[in-house]
Amino acid sequence: MEEAIVNSRAAKWSTYAVAFVITALIFGTAFAASVYFNGRRAAEIRTAQDSISIDILSLETQFDLLAEHSCRDISENSVLSKEIRPVGERLSFLEGQRNVDQDELLRLKRYYSLLQIKDLLLMQRVAQKCGLEPVFILYFYSNAGDCEDCEEQGYVLTALSEQYPQLRIYSFDYNLDLSALQTLIDVNDVQNSLPALIINDRVQYGLKTIGDIEKILPELATLKKAESKNATSTE
Amino acid sequence: MEIVTYVLLFVSLYFEVFLLLSFLERRRGVAIKKGPGAALLPSVAIVVPCFNEEDGVRSTLLSLLSLRYPSEKIEILLIDDGSTDRTVAVAQDLIAATPGAAERIKIFSKENGGKHTAMNFALERTETDLIGCLDADSVVDPHALSRIVQVLEDSAISAVTPGIHAKEPETWLQHMQHVEYRISIFNRFMLAALGSAFITPGPFSIFRTAVVRELGGWKYGHSTEDMELALRMQKHGHLIANAPSATVHTGIPRTFSGLFRQRVRWTYGFLKNAIDYRAMIFNRSYGNLGLLVLPLALFSIAAAIYFFCQMIFSAALSLMTTFTRIELTGTLPSPTLELFYINTSAMWILVIVSVALVLALIMAGSRIGTGSKRPPMGTPLFMLFYSFLVPLWLGAAVVRAIFNTGVRWR
Repeated sequence: MEEAIVNSRAAKWSTYAVAFVITALIFGTAFAASVYFNGRRAAEIRTAQDSISIDILSLETQFDLLAEHSCRDISENSVLSKEIRPVGERLSFLEGQRNVDQDELLRLKRYYSLLQIKDLLLMQRVAQKCGLEPVFILYFYSNAGDCEDCEEQGYVLTALSEQYPQLRIYSFDYNLDLSALQTLIDVNDVQNSLPALIINDRVQYGLKTIGDIEKILPELATLKKAESKNATSTE
Repeated sequence: MEIVTYVLLFVSLYFEVFLLLSFLERRRGVAIKKGPGAALLPSVAIVVPCFNEEDGVRSTLLSLLSLRYPSEKIEILLIDDGSTDRTVAVAQDLIAATPGAAERIKIFSKENGGKHTAMNFALERTETDLIGCLDADSVVDPHALSRIVQVLEDSAISAVTPGIHAKEPETWLQHMQHVEYRISIFNRFMLAALGSAFITPGPFSIFRTAVVRELGGWKYGHSTEDMELALRMQKHGHLIANAPSATVHTGIPRTFSGLFRQRVRWTYGFLKNAIDYRAMIFNRSYGNLGLLVLPLALFSIAAAIYFFCQMIFSAALSLMTTFTRIELTGTLPSPTLELFYINTSAMWILVIVSVALVLALIMAGSRIGTGSKRPPMGTPLFMLFYSFLVPLWLGAAVVRAIFNTGVRWR
């Protein structure tokens, strides 16, 4: 046990100052650690991005080969890289974090969107050549605070993709500065009235529930339902 | 909003760091005096103010009779403050059954007037050098008085507070208070080291009788006369020391309602006394007490309430989002254990640092109070739940203070 203690109450300024410096260091370290961990996350996504780049190249090559191969050689579900969905989820998570290098995040989002567009185009070509009827949804959202229902629409689409793992959902940030994406928006004449879904070549505006989508897209019934849940995010 | 949170967190962390840093520097300026011979020991009056204390008064008196201090130098004054139960009968039975007790324990009865009136009643009837109080729900260690008297050998010191521990914690709520008392041991020790003690707790704080008389005795002090007297002593430049080895075990509430009522009274008393002594706040002439301790004690109340409200707001928002999600999709989001999604925000890291510092305070309090750094077994419970309870009585006390409602002892 400690001995008895007392002291005059005269302020010792050096202790005040040292305590301030230590507290400031703790704060600085916390912020630096947060930046570091988000940097690590970005690096993980960058690694995935490299893989996606290869996927893009592979998709293009696959597309070239398509002309000389039979439809049997190209399985519809093998085209979409398994890395795309996790990257989408991770990007979405990173977007919600503070202390993130915004330029890096933007670069990653652009790559992600580009890959999705490439996959979409290839899938349409494959479908055309092989007489398939792919079931897919294009989802346009905004993070700029001008889309009240986008968060809810994200929940709906996540649940839908968990329910139907074969359903392809391509999600795009409407405001992303990417010329290919802007072309996609122009081609489909998507207005800035979000959330917007393109289902069977028709643009649907406003929040759509699972029931609404099942009505608009009856082909969903042809897809296998998931036996167990697989987390997928499209926000 | 976020900047406010960071500022509050910074100041809260600063105070914790300041106290721990001061703890590491504590050797400087410590007042330790050798004890005098028995012939020179001062006489001491220990007042046991009682209002319906039939359950605890016997053990309190027995512990006082067991004090290792010359019996001719101790007066035990039981002041019955208008009890309506068997308090006096229990005390009389004890006196009758204990040889020598009749000469050492004096029983006085008066009309109920509150603890401060009982203390003043005793003050008028004693001529001892020192006077102290022992609440009738507390028991002292046999060596407690001699350890306190040693400290009072330093004529610059006007009062000494003991090391207060929770008595026989049983319920989960009491175990959490047991941990809290360890933090209080640390705080009391450090505030004495900073010359800034602003409470002389009811369980066995010992004063120089002359100083108490000179200051005008005890006052109502918004039902916290122990805080009011300490602030008055500080205002008049008196030093208040702490002797953590002078161990006292005090009764603690078993139920939440009892704890809530007690803490509302303490917090209300602090707020009202702080208003009464507002001239000391941010006043350089009161050193650490005026510049740091009182402002930060007030600040910590505001910060605790703010963090609690923010937490409730965030939880409500999250709950609403979950309900919306369930309503829209019929399912809950799938949880993930991937490392990628672990929260590493600066705010979260700072909260973890704050929790670690609280643990350090508990360990330091344990070391000061028991000699072992080992925290009490209720520490995990305390860390998980206590911070959710504290803002409840802080908020209630603030509201009561604003509307000047007053508080009752029971």
